[in-house]
Amino acid sequence: MINPYYKRLFIIGLLVICLGMVSGCAGYPRLLNLPPDLRVNSVNSPSTEMNPQISSDYLVFASDRQGRQDIYLYDRKQLELIDLPGLNSIDAIASEPAISTDGNYIVFNSTRGGQSDIYLYNRNTRQLRNLTDNLNAQVRHPTINADASVIAFESSLNGQWDIVVYNRYGQALNIP
Amino acid sequence: MIITVLGNTRIFQYSQTLLGKIFPRLRLKGTGRAKFALILVLLFQAMMVGCTTVAINSSMVDGAINSIATDEQPALSGNGRFLVFVSNREGQNQLFLYDLRRRSYKTLVELRRSLTVMESPSLSYTGRYIVYSANDSGRADIYLYDRLTYRLEMLTRGYRGGVRHPHISPNGRYISFEGSRRGQWDIEIIDRGPNIELDTETSLSES
Repeated sequence: MINPYYKRLFIIGLLVICLGMVSGCAGYPRLLNLPPDLRVNSVNSPSTEMNPQISSDYLVFASDRQGRQDIYLYDRKQLELIDLPGLNSIDAIASEPAISTDGNYIVFNSTRGGQSDIYLYNRNTRQLRNLTDNLNAQVRHPTINADASVIAFESSLNGQWDIVVYNRYGQALNIP
Repeated sequence: MIITVLGNTRIFQYSQTLLGKIFPRLRLKGTGRAKFALILVLLFQAMMVGCTTVAINSSMVDGAINSIATDEQPALSGNGRFLVFVSNREGQNQLFLYDLRRRSYKTLVELRRSLTVMESPSLSYTGRYIVYSANDSGRADIYLYDRLTYRLEMLTRGYRGGVRHPHISPNGRYISFEGSRRGQWDIEIIDRGPNIELDTETSLSES
């Protein structure tokens, strides 16, 4: 004979599990909860966050949480920001980052003294490379593919915004 | 070269029989007939050459990424094959999907039908999912378009605030964007859940 108290407990437990399953299944697509945090080490802050780009492991974005606009990289597995030594500089506004799938390459737009350039940052070697040094035009909106072999961005070389496609080494690909 | 030679001999034979049919009274024999047929072949070839040069020129114009209009906000697919961007070449901001390998456009039939201003497109790994923001009724929303099933889905239904700059993860599960529900631009992430079809290397096997 089962104790009626345990029986009731069992039914309530079953109900809770069912409800949880139902709400879990019906909840997609779902908005993740990313509350602003006063700590510097979180996705959102009391400052403005801009141009987030997500992959399964990383989230890269621009933020002015430390008084100037910089690029930040968030590790979605470890739930913390990753240091990007040498990427941000005091005299430049960094914006519009994009990241390769392995998280090694970050391409972004850097404005220094009215001149905008597209930079490629290599996290392994910590090297920063200006891809548009020889392009005498304003540039913006860089994008990179998964293995960082192709980079595209906008250029104002012809007096209007046009699209330019480069490889990782800053050479223009032969595309009409 | 071989094909053109083969083609020419076939045209040659055909024009010879054709000559016999059209001009039964023209009693050209042997070399005379052959010469006449040869002239026809040459004429035909000149015509074909003219046609193909015209075709190449027009396809060069259609197949180029940039136009005389503004082309902006490019986004690459994860495999680097497709480039989606916004262009006002047809009068209003529309999305264009360019195949970098084939140097040609893919049509986005479902998306071109709506008369909305589209912005900030983004592609998943093989370009199966396209995420963009569109201003439909004075309010920007984020849409997800599945190129395999031709389904268009609004992702920000019920979101209290402005949205902009969406970006889809290469596998297609997560979408990040800027949202203003807390009174400033913050990062928001939508999880499409574990049951969606992920966009990986093999999922959209079109050559």
